[in-house]
Amino acid sequence: MKKWSHRKPPMNFEWWGPTPKESRRIRISKRKDLYDKNMSLKDAVSKFIVRLGKRNKRSLNIGIGGFVNTRLPVAITHEMIRQGGIKDITLSYQSCGYVQDILIGAMLVDENHISIRRIEQAWAGHELLGLASCFRYAIENSLIEIDDYSNYGMSARFKAAAMGTSFIPVRDHGGSSMQYVNKGIAIRCPFSGDNVYLLPACHPDVAIIHAQVADSYGNCRIFGQLCTCSELALAANYNIVTCETLIPNENIRRYPNLTEIPWFAVDAVVEQPWGAYPVTCWGFYWYDIEHLKEWISAGKEFRKTGKIAPLEEYLNKYIFECQTFDDCISKIPYKRLRRLIELDGHQPITV
Amino acid sequence: MVEYNAYEMIAYTSSRLLKDKTTVFIGTGLPMIAAIHAQKTHAPNIVLLFEAGSLYPIMELGLPISVGDTRVGVKSCVMKGLCMAFELTQRGFIDYGFIGGAEIDQYGNANATMIGEDYSHPSVRFPGSGGAGHMAANCERTIFIMPLEKRRFCKKINFVTNIGYGDGSADYRKRAGVLGKGPWRVVTHIAVFGFDEITKKIMLLEVAPGYTVDDILDRMDFEPLIPNEGIKPMSEPMPEDLRIIRDIDPEGLFLKRKVEE
Repeated sequence: MKKWSHRKPPMNFEWWGPTPKESRRIRISKRKDLYDKNMSLKDAVSKFIVRLGKRNKRSLNIGIGGFVNTRLPVAITHEMIRQGGIKDITLSYQSCGYVQDILIGAMLVDENHISIRRIEQAWAGHELLGLASCFRYAIENSLIEIDDYSNYGMSARFKAAAMGTSFIPVRDHGGSSMQYVNKGIAIRCPFSGDNVYLLPACHPDVAIIHAQVADSYGNCRIFGQLCTCSELALAANYNIVTCETLIPNENIRRYPNLTEIPWFAVDAVVEQPWGAYPVTCWGFYWYDIEHLKEWISAGKEFRKTGKIAPLEEYLNKYIFECQTFDDCISKIPYKRLRRLIELDGHQPITV
Repeated sequence: MVEYNAYEMIAYTSSRLLKDKTTVFIGTGLPMIAAIHAQKTHAPNIVLLFEAGSLYPIMELGLPISVGDTRVGVKSCVMKGLCMAFELTQRGFIDYGFIGGAEIDQYGNANATMIGEDYSHPSVRFPGSGGAGHMAANCERTIFIMPLEKRRFCKKINFVTNIGYGDGSADYRKRAGVLGKGPWRVVTHIAVFGFDEITKKIMLLEVAPGYTVDDILDRMDFEPLIPNEGIKPMSEPMPEDLRIIRDIDPEGLFLKRKVEE
C-alpha cells in the first residue's frame, strides 16, 4: 500500500454543517425505495427543518436552491418564517436575493422567532432592482458571521459534496483576499506542479428547492437555467422540494433524461403553484418587479432609519396574516399574476 | 452633433471592443446591452455565456434584468447550470469576461466585498464576488465596465474580491493559480484604459471628445500611465448605434442611471 502523506487540517478549520463522514452515514441509513413523499408544506417544514434543527447539536445548515432571484424556494421560506422556532441556522447558497433577505428581515424583527448565525455565500442582492439591505445591515453590525466564495466556489463545494468527495480543486480565489478569509487553501498540484485552490465540500443538513415539475416520489424536472440545484440536492442530507405541478411517475419514466434530481435525494414533495413568486420561474411566470420593490424599499428604509415597522408590515401582510402560501398569492391581484404568466413565454415539458 | 449619455457611451464602447466569432461571459446590465449591440452590428457571430447556465441564447423576449433572469435562456444552444458555465471558462472556451465592480485599483484588482478594516465588521458591505471572482481569474481576457468616478478608482482597495494583476509582480497570476491572462481594458463613459505589459499598471488609452487628460485625472484617486504614442480620442456612437442601444433598453433600466461628477 502506498504511504499516505499527512497534513493537519488548517488552523481554525471547522465544517459549518455536517461533515462528509456524517453525511455519508446519513445517506446510507436512509430509505431509498420509491414511496409517496407528497405532504403539506406545513408538515414538510415542521418535520425537516424545525424538528431536525431541534435535534441537531450544532447550527443547522440550510442550502438554498435557485440563483439570485430565479426559481427561489419562496413558499418554503415563507412557511419557515410563519412557523418560527428556527434558531441559530447557517445559510449556504451561491447567489440569493429575496429568500435570504426576508429570512434576515424576519430575524431583525424577532430574533427569538428565527435567527441566523452564519452565511456561506458568493453574492447577495437583487441585481438591477437594488441591494439586499437586511443582509448588509446584519453583516455591517456583525449579527451574522460570513464566509465569502465566488459563485463557482459555492457551486463547486456543493458539487464536491454531491460527488462524495471532501474537497475540490478550483482555479479561482487564489490571489484574491477571499483566500485569507474563507475555508479554502492554496496548494501545489502534485501532477502538474501548478498552484490550485482547494475548497472543502459543503453538505447542507437540508436543502430547500423549487422545481417546475416533480412526481410524488421526488423525481424532479427543472427547466431554464438549472442553477446549482442538482448538485445541491445531492449534497444535502435532506431535501424539501416544492413544484409548480405534480406529474405521474410514468411521465418521468417516459423521458428519464429530463430528471435533474433523483427521487432518493428527496424527503418531501409539495405541489405549490406560484411557489417561487415573486421571483421568476421558467415556463410559469416572470418576476413581479412591483412586489419585489415593496420588500426592497422596506429593507432600504430600515437600513437608513433603523425603523423596523416597514419590515414588520411586509412580513405581517404576506406571511403572518396568511395560513398558507395560497393565502399570500390570494393577496396579489389576478390581473397582475396573469400578466406575469404572459411575460414568461416558455414551455415546460410535463408529459 | 449626436447627443448621448454616459451609459450609452459605455455600452457602445464596450461593444466596439468585442470581436466577431469570439465567446463572451456576460454580467448583468451594460454588458448585456453591449453584447446585443455587437450581435446586431459588427459581430453577428458572437457567442454569449451566462453564469446561471445559458450558452448562446438569442435574446428576443426583451432585456433581462438579471443574469439569472429566465430571459437570458431564450433560444440557447445549451442550457445547464453554474458549474457548466464556470467549468467551460476554466477549460478555455471563453475569450472575454465583462466585469463591473465597486472599486478598482491601478493593477486591475476589484473590490466587491466590503469597505473597512475588519472583515467581520465592515463599515459598508457590498454583495460579494458573485461570478466575477471566477471570470477575473479564468476568462482569457477581462474587460471592466463602469463609470469613471473618484470613489471607484482607488489607490488602495480594502479587499481584493476579483483578481487583477495583484501587486503588479510579473508572476502574480501564475502564483495565484489562475488561468486567464488578466485585465485587458477598462471602459468608462469618458475614457478607455489598458494595462502596461511590463509594469501591469493601468494606462490611459482613449479620452472622449470634449474632455482633457486633466478631466480624467480629476476623477481618479491615482495616476494612470500615459503611453508614449499619445492618447486617442474615443469614437462616438452614430445615430444608428444609439437607436439600437435604446431599442435594447427602451425603459432605460440600465442606460438612464446617474453618474457622480
